[in-house]
Amino acid sequence: MAFLRSRLFWIAAAVVVVAALLPFWVSIYLLSVLTAAYYFGVFAMAWDLLFGFAGEVNFGPTFLIGLGAYTAAILNSTAGLPIPVCVVAGALAAVAGGILLAVPALRLRGPYFGLVTLVAVLLLQNFVVIFASVTGGEIGMTVPDVLSIDASVNYWYALAFLVVCAALLFGLSRSAVGLILQASGQDAVEAAALGFNVTKHKVAAFCVSALFSGTAGAMLIFYMGTASVDTVVDIAIGVQIIIAAVLGGRRTILGAALGAVFLIVANEFLRPLGQLNTFVVAAIALAVILFFPEGLLGYALHRGERE
Amino acid sequence: MSGAVRLQVGELAKRFGGVVAVKNMSFDLKAGEIVGLIGPNGSGKSTVMSLIMGIARANSGTIKLDGVDISGWPAHRIARSGVSIVFQHSRPLQRQTVLENVKLALLPDSLLRLATEASVGERAREIAERVGLGGVLHRHPWTLPFADLRRMELAKAVARDPKVVLIDEPFAGLTPTEIKVFSDLIRTLRDEGRAVLLVDHSVKSVAALADRVIAMYLGERIAEGSADEVMQNETVRRVYIGGKIEAVERKSAGAGQAPTLLQLDAVEVFYGKTKALDRVDLRVRQDEFVSIVGLNGAGKTTLFNAISGLVPYRGAIRFGERDLRSQTAASIARGGVVHCPETRELFVHMSVRENLDLGGGHLSKSERQRQLDWVFDLFPILEQRQAQAARTLSGGEQQMLALGRALMMQPKLLILDEPTLGLAPVILGQLSKAIERLRQEHSLTLLLAEQNVTFALPHSDRVYVLDHGRITWQGDPVRFAEEMSTGYL
Amino acid sequence: MRAIQILVDGFAISSLYGLAAVGFTLIFGVSGVLNLAHGGIMVVAALVGWLAAGELGLGTYAGTLVGVLAGLATAYATYLVVVRPIQRSRAIRPEETEIFVLTGTLLWGIMIQVGMAYLFTDNPVTIRPLISGVVSIFGVRTPANEILIAVLAWAVIGLLWLLVNRTRTGKALLGASMNPRGVTLLGYELTQLYLVAWGIYGVLAGIAGVLLASFLGVSTTNAGQLTASAFSIVVLGGLGSVSGSLIAAYVVGYLETATAYLIAPTLRPIPSLILLVLVVYMRPQGFLGRR
Repeated sequence: MAFLRSRLFWIAAAVVVVAALLPFWVSIYLLSVLTAAYYFGVFAMAWDLLFGFAGEVNFGPTFLIGLGAYTAAILNSTAGLPIPVCVVAGALAAVAGGILLAVPALRLRGPYFGLVTLVAVLLLQNFVVIFASVTGGEIGMTVPDVLSIDASVNYWYALAFLVVCAALLFGLSRSAVGLILQASGQDAVEAAALGFNVTKHKVAAFCVSALFSGTAGAMLIFYMGTASVDTVVDIAIGVQIIIAAVLGGRRTILGAALGAVFLIVANEFLRPLGQLNTFVVAAIALAVILFFPEGLLGYALHRGERE
Repeated sequence: MSGAVRLQVGELAKRFGGVVAVKNMSFDLKAGEIVGLIGPNGSGKSTVMSLIMGIARANSGTIKLDGVDISGWPAHRIARSGVSIVFQHSRPLQRQTVLENVKLALLPDSLLRLATEASVGERAREIAERVGLGGVLHRHPWTLPFADLRRMELAKAVARDPKVVLIDEPFAGLTPTEIKVFSDLIRTLRDEGRAVLLVDHSVKSVAALADRVIAMYLGERIAEGSADEVMQNETVRRVYIGGKIEAVERKSAGAGQAPTLLQLDAVEVFYGKTKALDRVDLRVRQDEFVSIVGLNGAGKTTLFNAISGLVPYRGAIRFGERDLRSQTAASIARGGVVHCPETRELFVHMSVRENLDLGGGHLSKSERQRQLDWVFDLFPILEQRQAQAARTLSGGEQQMLALGRALMMQPKLLILDEPTLGLAPVILGQLSKAIERLRQEHSLTLLLAEQNVTFALPHSDRVYVLDHGRITWQGDPVRFAEEMSTGYL
Repeated sequence: MRAIQILVDGFAISSLYGLAAVGFTLIFGVSGVLNLAHGGIMVVAALVGWLAAGELGLGTYAGTLVGVLAGLATAYATYLVVVRPIQRSRAIRPEETEIFVLTGTLLWGIMIQVGMAYLFTDNPVTIRPLISGVVSIFGVRTPANEILIAVLAWAVIGLLWLLVNRTRTGKALLGASMNPRGVTLLGYELTQLYLVAWGIYGVLAGIAGVLLASFLGVSTTNAGQLTASAFSIVVLGGLGSVSGSLIAAYVVGYLETATAYLIAPTLRPIPSLILLVLVVYMRPQGFLGRR
């Protein structure tokens, strides 16, 4: 395991270096696709922490993302606060949302909790539409500040953000707390019998997942310059996040990021197919579920350990 | 010897819905002693452990640890106060190595600790080596044999130096050699001054290890004392065996020449790593009533599940000329091998009549009516209650319904799993009469599994004894009464 | 005046919701599956029905029938291509099967939705009313078709009740929803029962789909919402309880209709969403659930 990790580390480092150099020989179009993909990667990793580690299936990650995004956007456009402040505010709003979700999670099982998460997204969507004067409703809103106008700079911001989040989340997953989280998610009774307050840890997991989701959502807004329901509070986007994490391999954290990048890039390359690209991507994801339930990275990592 | 009183359980009671699992249970547990908790299935032993550990909350009563009342505390708080439990089924984290699993047990309950201290790793290694896992520290649980998984559970439980150790079924699934090794490990725990509470079905193994034994039945304590005292106790013997073992000579003319209806050859069943059945050979002839007796966990239900096609097995099971392996469970049932399971599997929200009708679903309407009349004649109470939902029936009535439903299928071979479980003596009498009638009137072959030997013997032409998945004795009832009455428990 | 309009319109839409929800809850009760491709199946039935009735010139009645058959076929495809392989897969741990089935049916539903939009159209389609004319109920002019739909929905529900309570297979299905091992021990093949259950479900969803097309129109973009509303109704009523689903369907249907008429059409789904959240928090087993 330790060996694998160090090999993984060097491969990851190499990938990051290559990625950082991309702006020098790749088109602006591809850069923008990758930029979006990197933020998406953070969404997926945050989801994987909650699912893979705390064992909670969040069918509406866009609830947390949307909270972060819209809070940041509204603060920036109405109060004119600088970007970092708005991002922090967005993150905090998302954490509050995370705690809100944690409460039913601890009392409901399986499909019921999934339903609550779905409903949360729908409610937020309707909320945004109703208060259109502030939020721009279905059309969306623009924010006065953006991270940068330069595609390369935006790309580096996104890459740096992804790398930092990946390092933090991955480190968390491998830490002592990560171990306790895994135990809490896999076998809550045993974890309690070993002396761990499962409730405390699960709420913490929600908060961490929310923190990263909300921050990424806010960052995304300041990259795109706009916020709309279709981009950050959509159930379909939430589904794509889940697909990305499952594709890449649950409980690997890094696999989720990989899955996200693969998904976004695949979507782009399949764009000429028109509407069908969604079909193809969904079909591929379904095939992965049926034939490689461990996900691509999960499969690659565990191949050596199968009996 | 034993020292201060560590755990005091006072008038503990627990109900699950309408079922009383524990009532008025009181006992003490001292440091440096091993107490064994024994009792037939459903007597409440595991529930008592869950209550002490805080996994379930008692309805009333107190649990004091070193004088402090811990009843009502959450499990993790009880664990941190010095109580640990080894569950009946191993619960490893599959994705982590053995060492990491043990390390987990040593971690403090902190949200902020990201790195584990070096000493934790060292200590984990020590503990793992002490229970004999030194060679497999970096392996994953799925690669380990069953006994090693149990060792790991023990390691996790003692990791934080507990004052009280609760062990649920330490010997289930272990070979005799492994049982001895585990017994030694448990003795070491006692010698270190811990208070150990054991629950196990194997009365013999518990007797060999425990300083004191407490026997439970239907949720309360029926005897307490040294192992010998408890095993000789009249009430205990009656509860386990059902009473005096008397044999009735079966007049079964020509039964020895009847064709073989069911034959098992070298049947083995594995649940994961555990061998639940070990090379079982069995034969039931036409019109015979055969009993399989054995304590809980012996493998009776597993045996019946294999015959019915509900679990995979090795070896051969033949019904008449047919090899049952090639058939689905439903077709085995349709072919005349009808299984009335221990859990009864009634359709609780359907009426008595609907349950019976479903049993007779493969018959023509007139045949079904005839069969129904016969079942009602056998169990008049079912006719009375035919419009009632099955879940409103009493335990005894539910058993009769399960039996009646099985009979609706016109079985050639009826497999009956522990019909007397949890039933009051009065019902046992009714059930016994019904089975006797079946014997007299109808061409039925019966394979009966029972813990209650007193119930089973009068209805048996032959008896098999199943112990830890192996047939350890077979013969006729008279010989059984002679040979087994003292040694059985 | 308004009140009667709400009463009548609400009744019709609730009956359709009820029909769809009953199918959804049946599949959950018997097969243990929360089918997130539910809306997709209804959409296929509606689109194929529209195609058959209009473009292929089969006329309304035959077209409707073809639509229902398409719904049946899609339901079977869902079971045989997605659900059963996941349930039987040995690579998936038993505790995770439920989540995989959920995700799998979700993906399949998306595939159906996008595939249908690509093959045919993503505009709303309607099937011409089965009967024409207008009827006056307490002074409110209602399309006769709407009445017929409510009647048909209830006729189908009634047939289903007869099937489940009066036929051997139906009772076996009911038994399977309570205790799969029990029916196996009584000699019924579970694999066959599941096929029957999915078949019944396909027909129910198909009928709901074509009737909806003839009443309000259906578009591929509705697929997700149809699944969500069926899901909510079934949870409100209690997973696995048919009568609960019916009651909940009427509660939701009337809440939505009343909201649309009295507050604003855009806020239509909100009260039922709020009700759902309340129920999930306070009584997760729903009105009549027993699990």
